[in-house]
Amino acid sequence: MQNTEHAIEVTGLRTRYGDREVLKGLTFSIPRGKTTVILGGSGCGKSTLLKHLIGLLRPSAGSIRINGREITTLDEPGMDRVRGKMGVLFQGAALLNSMTIADNVALPIREHTKINEATLQIMVRMKLDLVGLSGFDHFYPSQLSGGMKKRAGLARALALDPEMLFFDEPSAGLDPVTAAGLDELIMKLRNVFRMTIIVVTHELPSVFAIADYVIMLDKGQILFAGTLDGLRASDHPRIRMFLERKPEQQAYSPDDYFRVIAGE
Amino acid sequence: MKIDVGDYKGNKVVSLAGEIDMHSSPALRERLLVLIRERPQRLVVNFRDVSYIDSSGIATFVEGLKHMRTYNGRLQFSEIPQGIMEIFSFSKLDKVFEICGTLDEAVNC
Repeated sequence: MQNTEHAIEVTGLRTRYGDREVLKGLTFSIPRGKTTVILGGSGCGKSTLLKHLIGLLRPSAGSIRINGREITTLDEPGMDRVRGKMGVLFQGAALLNSMTIADNVALPIREHTKINEATLQIMVRMKLDLVGLSGFDHFYPSQLSGGMKKRAGLARALALDPEMLFFDEPSAGLDPVTAAGLDELIMKLRNVFRMTIIVVTHELPSVFAIADYVIMLDKGQILFAGTLDGLRASDHPRIRMFLERKPEQQAYSPDDYFRVIAGE
Repeated sequence: MKIDVGDYKGNKVVSLAGEIDMHSSPALRERLLVLIRERPQRLVVNFRDVSYIDSSGIATFVEGLKHMRTYNGRLQFSEIPQGIMEIFSFSKLDKVFEICGTLDEAVNC
């Protein structure tokens, strides 16, 4: 049965790349209609987790339920139906360079619906306007700045009016003003369309601006899951280090270091 | 989605119920364009029983209004639920379409 409170429920999620376990038994839920930020340092497993949530990777063990439906055992057509309710903005925007911005946005609508071309063109212009790209319909991705590419990628992610919107490092490579504009747009999408929004990031200003709920990962494990106020109030040393931008302490002793570089 | 077309005080009224989404908006477009081809001076769409509208639904009405403007026809919306109204406002279309409270207000203005 569908849990109305949680859009996504993850239980005992484990995954490995070769011998290295990247996600070490994660259990958490993502609330419906809220913005959840998956936070953590570089290499903590957050992008890997995102790929599992959108069905691009299969876990070694564990369960992922989207709207109450187990996705780890779904075949490709079944997964495609689940993905029909998802929009994803990838880190590099993942636009098709041989197509105009308008055709990039139109692509999912053409592929997945029977919408008439005249209606489709209006929808595309609406999506481009929503992300501040009115008038750029006939531009190619190579003619856009990094921030504009991100916004075009977001317009495409919004093409099918998804219930859930995933962002992988949306602010990466953007100046602070453009990043703040993107944060504002994320908040509007949640407020007006009541979308469930999942953002993977390590950008603290963005976290404090948009998050309703935070899941913090460290070395493939959950360090914290709760509200933004709860995160701010946490006295966990790893969380404090992250929030106060303190560097990692020396990982090993001089003797250990010698053994590492000597290859002993 | 359910589409009913009727007359109210000499005006054509389209009453909609349910969800206007990517699956149902092509059928809505077809009905709307057939009505508009008759060049009505006023066409009222009643949203009272609409629970959801997505961008394909909004685009369908934009297309309808575009056709009606060629002959100075009026496309009016009545009894829009609060949640649907927020979507129209967000899209800035509350300033483009004629939004009326009740069906009577629509046909009398």
